[in-house]
Amino acid sequence: MNETIVSYLGETLGYSFNWAGTLAIFFIASLVLASIMALIGGLGTYAERKISADIQMRYGPNRVGPYGILQFLADGVKMLLKEDCIPRDSDRFIFKLSPMLCLVGVLASLAVLPTSSGFILANLNVGIFYLLGATSVVGVGIFLGGYSSNSKWAMLGGMRGAAQIISYEVPVTLTILSIVLIAGGLSMNTLVGGQGAFPNDWYIFHNPFSFIGFFVYFIGSLAETNRAPFDIPEAESELVSGYHTEFSGMRFAFFALSEYIEVFVLCAIAAALFLGGYNIPFGLQEHGLLGQLLQLAVFFTKSFFLYYVVIWIRWTLPRMRVDHLMILCWKYLTPIALLNLVGTAVWMYCFDGKSFYMILKQLFVASGQ
Amino acid sequence: MGIIPYIVVSSILFICGIIVMIARKNIIAILLGIELVLNAAALNFVAFTKFNNMNIDGHVFALFIILVAAAEAAVGLAIVIRFFQVRESIHIDSATQLQS
Amino acid sequence: MNMFLMIIFTLSAFLAVGGALSVAFAKNLIHACVYLLFSLIGVAGLYLTLGAEFVAATQLVVYVGGVVVLLLFAIMLTGGSNLHHVTSRFGLESTPLMGNLRTYIMGIVTALLLIAVLCNVLQGSISASAVVESKFSSTVEQIGVKLVTDHILAFEISSVLLLGALVGAAIIARPYRSSETEN
Repeated sequence: MNETIVSYLGETLGYSFNWAGTLAIFFIASLVLASIMALIGGLGTYAERKISADIQMRYGPNRVGPYGILQFLADGVKMLLKEDCIPRDSDRFIFKLSPMLCLVGVLASLAVLPTSSGFILANLNVGIFYLLGATSVVGVGIFLGGYSSNSKWAMLGGMRGAAQIISYEVPVTLTILSIVLIAGGLSMNTLVGGQGAFPNDWYIFHNPFSFIGFFVYFIGSLAETNRAPFDIPEAESELVSGYHTEFSGMRFAFFALSEYIEVFVLCAIAAALFLGGYNIPFGLQEHGLLGQLLQLAVFFTKSFFLYYVVIWIRWTLPRMRVDHLMILCWKYLTPIALLNLVGTAVWMYCFDGKSFYMILKQLFVASGQ
Repeated sequence: MGIIPYIVVSSILFICGIIVMIARKNIIAILLGIELVLNAAALNFVAFTKFNNMNIDGHVFALFIILVAAAEAAVGLAIVIRFFQVRESIHIDSATQLQS
Repeated sequence: MNMFLMIIFTLSAFLAVGGALSVAFAKNLIHACVYLLFSLIGVAGLYLTLGAEFVAATQLVVYVGGVVVLLLFAIMLTGGSNLHHVTSRFGLESTPLMGNLRTYIMGIVTALLLIAVLCNVLQGSISASAVVESKFSSTVEQIGVKLVTDHILAFEISSVLLLGALVGAAIIARPYRSSETEN
């Protein structure tokens, strides 16, 4: 079990790095991962517009590049050239800080993203717990962004955002805890390594409780990233555009980018915890570089599928009202998540940690004899 | 790197917390100071765990400190909000009566 | 690898100490709260250098995700920082909310006295005990085993404490008017 990308490289290349080499490798790997994530965030805006156009039978962006795929670059250039407006009565220090807090929180959570068995920046032994802590910085950023703009719409949006993120952290954390119970560890490699390549080994089909837990987690992560149908912090029809009403240029781009990357990160975590993560069948992971690339491909395919589902939901369902949102969290999702936790513990105790498939197989074999 | 840097950092946190608790007259600012003092204590526990004895009790104690700080912040802020509704002030000197 | 720890320690210590000093001397309450956020993140980094990953992650989850947002909410619900000059019930002008020179002098004198006492106490204990960097690993399993064996009583009592805090905070912070109509 490798601990970081550095120890993995050291094992495969048979070379031990000193502290400068370690630092350089971490720097390059972080740079690569952050660039890929920025690309994914940019392509996310393009995908969002293209998929929504597809759902509404429009064309969507189709002028810049083939099928309009370079639209996000054009948007980025436009954002860079925009005037950077700061409202006169705003709190300048916090106004400048809040987009960075959002982006820092999301980028910090990339450190434990299990993209393949080798390429994980740091396999902390508290990986998933660290990720929950890092993504909670985003809530502070959203709240401060709303507060510092000194505008009623932004203030309401920021308050709603913070309340929503704090509330939905409860069912999401409880659901993740039930998965931790099954896997018996908090580190990402333990969580992913306990599963197999085929659906019968995935944690989503491990027992009935984790099957429900997947949907609880997915709904909760939709709400945590302020995506529709839970996008009341930035509801266009009631608050102009929520907490980033007063932001322009690159500051707005930071908010948008952090939102899209966070959606991807939470989809990736769902894929890693419930849908088998980077596992590939037939022992292909032993084949060095080829195995790593296949693992990357499998992981990103699953994540992008969930990303597509998120966008699909956004353009299908209407927005919820704010009190319905809180009722859904505290009266439905939290009790279900608590029940899931207890149920998973009972299942692990009664069936000795066997999955549903294994029990069925045992019964089948026993009846055959 | 010994234990001394950690003790210096935690004592600076402690001093700042004490200064905030005495100098400020805003109840929420005083709560900020309490958080700093509790953090300094927890940092000392973890540092002494690493450098003085090998068992993990210090970490457990730091966890309990964090837990108590969270509970204290929740109840304290609830009291502050209630106090503001009754008195329309969050000045510590206006809290002179036990019953309103 | 030691150099690596050194870099992380320096960054975190600067963040923690700078944040704490800014909390003590900031003019604006909401800025002080943001500086407290930096200080807490710095302390989490210090825990990481001490090999206490679980405590560091708990610090991030509880403080950054919970306590700081709660403090910000409370600051906003109590009128922000625009109440600088207040008069007491008797019409006398009281000390400004964020303190003045007199209160700061009092605070600094008290803190120096406390630090002098602490130095005297700590000097003996540090020089007496052999300070050796021990090799140990803090894993989640170890902490979990400790929590349900040696510290089981404290663990259970803390769960009751949290439940009490939850219910108590919800009851205390109820809206004023609805409780008036009930009585």
